[in-house]
Amino acid sequence: MKLGPALLTAHLWLVLAFLYVPIVVMVVLGFNASPLYALPFQFDLVWYRELVGNAKLIDAGIHSVGIAIVNTIIATTFGTMAALAFARYQFRGKTILQLLLFPPVAIPWLVIGTAMLVFFYWIDIKRGLFAILLGHVALSLPYVIVVVGARLATFPRAVEEAAATLGATPFQTFRRVTAPLLAPGVIGGALFAFAVSFDQFVISYFLAPPGVTTLPVEIYGAIRKGFTPEINAISTIIIVVSMGALLLTARFYRFGGER
Amino acid sequence: MAVADRRNRGAILALTGPAYLWLTATIFLPLSAMLYCSFLAKSPLVPAPVSYTLRHYEAFVDKSVYQQLMLWSLQMGAIVTICCLVIGYPAALALAKVIKGRWREAMFLMVVLPFWSNALVRTFSWTLVLRPFDLLYSYPAVIVGLVHSYLPYMILTCYISLQAIDDSVIEAARSLGARSGALFRRVVFPMSLPGVLAGSALIFVPAVGSFMEPRILGGAKGATLGMAVEDQFTVTANWPFGAALSFLMLGAVLLICLAVYPAARKRMEGL
Amino acid sequence: MSTVAVTDAVKRYDSVAALDGVTMTFRDGEFFGLLGPSGSGKTTLLRAIAGFVTLDRGQVLIDGQDVGGVPVHARNIGMMFQNYALFPHMSVAENVSFGLEVRGRPREEVAQRVKEALAMVRLGGLEQRKPKQLSGGQQQRVALARALVTRPKVLLLDEPLGALDKHLRQEMQVELRRIQRQVGITTIFVTHDQEEALTLSDRIAIFDSGRIIQEGAPMAVYERPVTKFAAGFLGEANFLQGRVTAMEAGDIARIALDIGGEVSCRLTNGQVGQTVLLALRPEKITLAAGGQAGLNALRGKVLDVVFSGNSTTYRIAVGDQVMILFKQNLVQGTVAPGTEVVLSWSPDHLVQVTP
Repeated sequence: MKLGPALLTAHLWLVLAFLYVPIVVMVVLGFNASPLYALPFQFDLVWYRELVGNAKLIDAGIHSVGIAIVNTIIATTFGTMAALAFARYQFRGKTILQLLLFPPVAIPWLVIGTAMLVFFYWIDIKRGLFAILLGHVALSLPYVIVVVGARLATFPRAVEEAAATLGATPFQTFRRVTAPLLAPGVIGGALFAFAVSFDQFVISYFLAPPGVTTLPVEIYGAIRKGFTPEINAISTIIIVVSMGALLLTARFYRFGGER
Repeated sequence: MAVADRRNRGAILALTGPAYLWLTATIFLPLSAMLYCSFLAKSPLVPAPVSYTLRHYEAFVDKSVYQQLMLWSLQMGAIVTICCLVIGYPAALALAKVIKGRWREAMFLMVVLPFWSNALVRTFSWTLVLRPFDLLYSYPAVIVGLVHSYLPYMILTCYISLQAIDDSVIEAARSLGARSGALFRRVVFPMSLPGVLAGSALIFVPAVGSFMEPRILGGAKGATLGMAVEDQFTVTANWPFGAALSFLMLGAVLLICLAVYPAARKRMEGL
Repeated sequence: MSTVAVTDAVKRYDSVAALDGVTMTFRDGEFFGLLGPSGSGKTTLLRAIAGFVTLDRGQVLIDGQDVGGVPVHARNIGMMFQNYALFPHMSVAENVSFGLEVRGRPREEVAQRVKEALAMVRLGGLEQRKPKQLSGGQQQRVALARALVTRPKVLLLDEPLGALDKHLRQEMQVELRRIQRQVGITTIFVTHDQEEALTLSDRIAIFDSGRIIQEGAPMAVYERPVTKFAAGFLGEANFLQGRVTAMEAGDIARIALDIGGEVSCRLTNGQVGQTVLLALRPEKITLAAGGQAGLNALRGKVLDVVFSGNSTTYRIAVGDQVMILFKQNLVQGTVAPGTEVVLSWSPDHLVQVTP
């Protein structure tokens, strides 16, 4: 298969180009002076300056970050606890519980978002940041459970027993052995949770009342109305933040710490 | 692993409780609520005595426009899935079997990264690329946008499956005389089937329900069932009808998955 | 130094009895091997002594005290695990000092004792390395140092040498024995490798289906097995079945074998007409090409010859049974297949076993 590998590799590079070209174009045009995306290219930071003055976008940005942080704390805590239960115990209903992690991921977010809209209306939770937070955590939980669970699967159980034989109480064992070994997985899960929340559009779209939005929802509105390169600027920032978070995840989850 | 007994049950409940209570309250109960809503005669927003009806579901059966939308959406989902498969599988193959060492980890990361960087923003970036060429606001534009969004899913799942194939199995096949074509057809592809199916499921379902990409890239033209549902909840405020459409969509997708499942199960026996 | 005793231990998992009434006393300072096939209960017993398994019935006593309600971390035991279970995020020194630190020992004392422990296992100089930077044998030694530095009452070893290759295993066996004798600690270890059990132990116990089949000094258990299972599990054995034809003075019985031929051996409570099963170790048989058959001498034909360097294994058809024979190669050359031979042995080497 001499020709084969070369072709496959070329194809891979083309795929990467396909994935990145639009993003690169968008980032570059955010630094272009023309408000109509007209060439020739003139470097200018005008749109980033405009961004600073755009109160709506900044508010939306603050909401997004705030929700993402709270979401991360909640989802990581509950998700890690559940992952621990799955890794440590065998019980009836375990398989069902694990299967129930699929719907949030597999059902179209459109369906979930509208369902939440209906249900929250009925139990009198108003649309708003709290409702959005509820939705984000629900979507983040399966990811955290899977990521931490994968880390737990490679966790050498015997070390906890060894610690016990050496005289460590369960609390000492957790503090000195379990927690340090779990840390990379939990951090990976947390970063996933942050990325899921920060990028989430559909749920936020349905649960956001007029006037209070998250960044993606705000951008959507701006695009529908007709856009300026300010969108490019904020989008570039979003991409940098999300990709940064993901790179951090990769470092902790794959390469960092002990394997 | 400890087997559950009375001492452990408390711990198990305490550990899984919060997460699953949250999921129940935010996913399972809402879905049930929406199912219930789809049988309501009047939208819950309207203060009126509660009455039930099947007419929202009947509307789907009666008015061919919605059936068209459904078929259209299913077709779109299928096209996106197939494109992702055709483009993504060879890329996954390259990653799993051709690239080695540090390059492999780096390129894998590069493939996965855009996937996580906010679908909305990426869709927006496509408008910038397509507009100068007058390709915006067309059906192909929607397909391109969706493929771009979901491609990494397919590459990821296929990669995981392909990577798990032991090199010695491939060597054994070669030693038995298999040339590249037969090797791929009879050994590599069948063994990577779980990844292909997982990726397809992960792409088909959301693609059928998408509305954001069709709106942004398709404009007035690319109409999908997803957009119709969105309308019911944002513009028309006809929640029961929107709920019915949602469940019909979910049902159609489930039916397709169930139809494929037995054949898939058979093929994947032993893997 | 301590004694450990287990009385009437029973442990069930669903309907399977992992331990089915096990009673054993482990003497102060002895090196005791628990031997048996997978699932026979030996590991369950070890873990019950450690405290990871709670018995359904029966007691575990350490120094005469019932430790049933005592949690693992309070039992003051030392344990070595099959894959060492070193703390991957800690250095060698931190691994070894762990047990002392959780007990709150002062820092100078900890440093001193860690140093002594690492010197005892001959690993001085590697304090700052992480486990993944060490070889298998080195990790093994760290695990041993870590278990012993706290001066536990008893040392429990769960197939500790399983992951090592042959040479390293033998080297570690010697090391383990040396250190154990030096420290004088009561040691109980689990293995499915019978050669290892024989070479290391002061006493061994053979497990089958949750019960102890036989226990005693290695040589006693090897030379005088009580059941067919024990005879077959420890080394190889030929089994000869026959009927008692006569009883002579001194409890000597004459037995007519099913395969033909006659043997004599000592039988306690032998009855004429009784069916007996006799075990005969392959190395106890003498091979002669040609010769006279007779009492304790059977004629056969060589089927198969396997040369193993210092010994040769013969498979010989005797009647419709195949017997195995080990012969030390005192001289060069082996007997060719197809040769008519006579196998003979001393009646002392025939052991009656229960089927």
